[in-house]
Amino acid sequence: MEQQNDNFNIDIEIKRKKIRKRKKRWLRLRLFKIINVVSCAMVFLVIAVCMILMKRPEISEIENRTLAKWPEFSFKDYFSGKYTAGIENHYNDTVPGRENFKDMVASIRGCFGVKSDEAKIHGTIIKKDNKKPENKVIPSETDESTDNTQHTQESTEKPVTKEQPTEKKDNWDDPAVEGEISNNILVYKNRGIMLYGGSYENGETYADSVNAFKNDLGDDVNVYSMVCPTPVSYYLPEKYSDLSGSEKDNIKHINSFLSGVIPVDAYSALMNHKNEDIFTRTDHHWSQLGAYYAAEQFAKAADVPFAELSSYEKEKRSGYVGTLYGYSGDADLKNNPEDFVCYRPKNKYETEYFSTDLSEQWEGSLMMDLDRLDPVSWYLVFMGSDTQVAHIKTDVNNGRKLAVIKDSYGNALIPCLTGSFEEIYVIDMRYFEANAVSYLQECGITDLLFAMNTFSATGSNYECLETIRTQ
Amino acid sequence: MVFSSLFFLYFFLPVCVIFYAASKKIQTRNFILIAFSLFFYAWGEPLCVYMLIISTAVNYLLGLIIEVNRGRFGAKAAVFSAVAFNIAVLGIFKYSGFIVENINSIFGLHLDVPDIKLPIGISFYTFQIISYIVDCYWEKVEVQKSFSKLLMYVSLFPQLVAGPIVRYSSIESEINSRRTTLDDLYAGISRMIIGLAKKVIISNNLSMIVDSFFGSDIKGISVVGTWYAVIIYAMQIYFDFSGYSDMAIGLGRIFGFHFDENFNYPFICKDVSEFWQRWHISLSTFFRDYLLYIPIFGRRRKYGGLFLVWFCTGLWHGASWNYVIWGLYFGVFIFLEQLMGKKRMRKIPVAVRHIYNKIVIIIGFGIFYFEDMGRLGDFFKNLIGLNGNSFADAYVSISFSNNVFLITAAVLFCFPAAKLINTLSAKHPAAAYIASVSKIAVNISLLLVSSILLVDATNNPFLYFRF
Repeated sequence: MEQQNDNFNIDIEIKRKKIRKRKKRWLRLRLFKIINVVSCAMVFLVIAVCMILMKRPEISEIENRTLAKWPEFSFKDYFSGKYTAGIENHYNDTVPGRENFKDMVASIRGCFGVKSDEAKIHGTIIKKDNKKPENKVIPSETDESTDNTQHTQESTEKPVTKEQPTEKKDNWDDPAVEGEISNNILVYKNRGIMLYGGSYENGETYADSVNAFKNDLGDDVNVYSMVCPTPVSYYLPEKYSDLSGSEKDNIKHINSFLSGVIPVDAYSALMNHKNEDIFTRTDHHWSQLGAYYAAEQFAKAADVPFAELSSYEKEKRSGYVGTLYGYSGDADLKNNPEDFVCYRPKNKYETEYFSTDLSEQWEGSLMMDLDRLDPVSWYLVFMGSDTQVAHIKTDVNNGRKLAVIKDSYGNALIPCLTGSFEEIYVIDMRYFEANAVSYLQECGITDLLFAMNTFSATGSNYECLETIRTQ
Repeated sequence: MVFSSLFFLYFFLPVCVIFYAASKKIQTRNFILIAFSLFFYAWGEPLCVYMLIISTAVNYLLGLIIEVNRGRFGAKAAVFSAVAFNIAVLGIFKYSGFIVENINSIFGLHLDVPDIKLPIGISFYTFQIISYIVDCYWEKVEVQKSFSKLLMYVSLFPQLVAGPIVRYSSIESEINSRRTTLDDLYAGISRMIIGLAKKVIISNNLSMIVDSFFGSDIKGISVVGTWYAVIIYAMQIYFDFSGYSDMAIGLGRIFGFHFDENFNYPFICKDVSEFWQRWHISLSTFFRDYLLYIPIFGRRRKYGGLFLVWFCTGLWHGASWNYVIWGLYFGVFIFLEQLMGKKRMRKIPVAVRHIYNKIVIIIGFGIFYFEDMGRLGDFFKNLIGLNGNSFADAYVSISFSNNVFLITAAVLFCFPAAKLINTLSAKHPAAAYIASVSKIAVNISLLLVSSILLVDATNNPFLYFRF
């Protein structure tokens, strides 16, 4: 009897122990749940408080734009939903410490995969124009399929820089908007390469416009066309050659349509110096060294003197990460900055600028102070911006007056030509608001150079030339 | 306002939860939820919020009329006018442009196409209201006597704009009394964070791959590239929409509501019919319960009903023919499967069934993607190389290696991997501890990573917002 009782007691004891154990486990799991909930709630609260109280940035250096501002209230905007969307956009766009987070985003995205044989690809795949037309055809103006400048990061905000030639100018080139870049970027061995689609048809329109300029200006003015190749022609590995159209063929095709216009072969000039730093790795522009070799080729064609590279004052800065990082968000570009090198001409010259409609005029310098520019915008060292018209008077005495109609590739050429022409006029075809032909005639130019990259000449900018010629 | 925005996560939500938690009485809590929900909706739709309120008011009154006229003609008339009213509202706001365009093209007319902006979430909340009013008529639920409670059901922000289509019956009792337990909070927060991560970490980044292939002219994309991109797109839309549903269900639980599941690992299905039992469950069951009931084709002609359901499912997704084709496309396969019968289907080897249904589903998502008929044609040609496109190129291999971990994770989470870990860990006490502790780390890191990625959210709206 007693034994039974003992057994019974032991049974109860075991059961109690089990229940206690289970309860303990339950409590512990409950504790973990509490910790989980509380820590998540803390994260929400801390971030919310930081986002509300901390100072919000106003500009993004990486993307070269002012961030979304708090919108102004109007009933119209409110009822259309634009006002509230603006507030949300402001809240989301101006996160405190934004640039650091953007870098973290690049690093996180870098963890999504591995490089395929040192290559990474970004952006929308370009449409390659493989069909070289046999006969000259009239291109349709509304054919959007030939536009190879698709971009996803287009921003409607105005870009900013620290230094401008005058306080009036507040606009510098946003390459995605301006048609000189494709967002389809291959990053190979820490170099960003914009893949080129090309369009033979657009190239013909470009050639037609250039020919028309020659026609309008007459025999007294020499007209040159220099369509500048980009890194894709020199650094795209053979195995990926099918990813891009051929700049060489597109340029050749353009040249075959020129009449009375002298083609300048920048392609070969740069090919001879392929192993030098003729292009920056992280920016969509060429380097001034590349521009120098192209300018040399032009000087030969124009038969003007040309200054030795050694006669320039070389300036070098490290830590340069250009626009392609902003466009691709590729951590490899960010983590492998390069040197930015520019050459300042030593001869004497004066620079003045005009507004795009020529109504205003001001003095300025041809080359900016690098210290006053954000590192990402160091390419702005040449004339500070794309938009305005520039006029440079040099100490050269040869009766030659040059006008350059260009996109931003042309900017780096100008300092290389101060030893070659008496006067240089610089016009950006995308911004000029007067009639170019009559302006050039007024200026009494002897030479006219068209200088832009292949993306501009065969992309969405091919129509700008016709606009400035006829407007 | 979208759930996956810093403004929602780090402004709207904390403020709302603090107010909610600070109040104790259910009436105050309901009032807070209504106020925040209307604010949430008015934020994106400053005008259409009034339409939401009017719609609710009309249906509220008709509900009362049903109640008063039980068993009489009045009730039938009320439910009929309520459904007609709701469908008319949806028709005007969602389909008027589409209808006029089609009338113009069929009869060669030039009528002005009305340019009406689609109010966010109208397809979802209209269906919710219909479910309420019809259930009232069928006496499945009691008529809601309080307008504010009905308004709360319709406007409740967790499920307002992109589903799931929550039935009134499923939260009827919780409208009147509910409490948030620790388990609710824990499950709710975890679920919300997982939904956020599905959207921001997986779906948004998969969408970048899809855009890079389909974002421009697709004629040059290789055969392999087209298949690759459309497979990625199928996963993108799954993570996008199920992520949203997860967030909705999670948010609901934080406030003490228990919504039904909307997804149940659709890609593990063995046939197309099963896919639709696992994908957007709240929509398929809505059509099953409310549309198939209408004996348009007579009870014996069930296949007519089937195609009607799939026509409507397609059209519900958008006022564009590609959605109708998409719906009917699935209708055809489900019809064929029904003809075959379950027994014969079961005899087919499982591997073959999986290959068959995955191809059907993936091509289906292609139809879903291309609203433009010309591009849809190009897509089909691309799939088999009829556009003169190459079989393969370096794009796919580079893109795949660049995203190999992301894609692997996406594939893995299409299957019940996380669920499996949960079930296994629950069996052993030690494993349960480890799982609980790691869940803390998982939650916090997913939340932080998602938030960081949101700083760069250029590509963020939920796909199902358009519907």
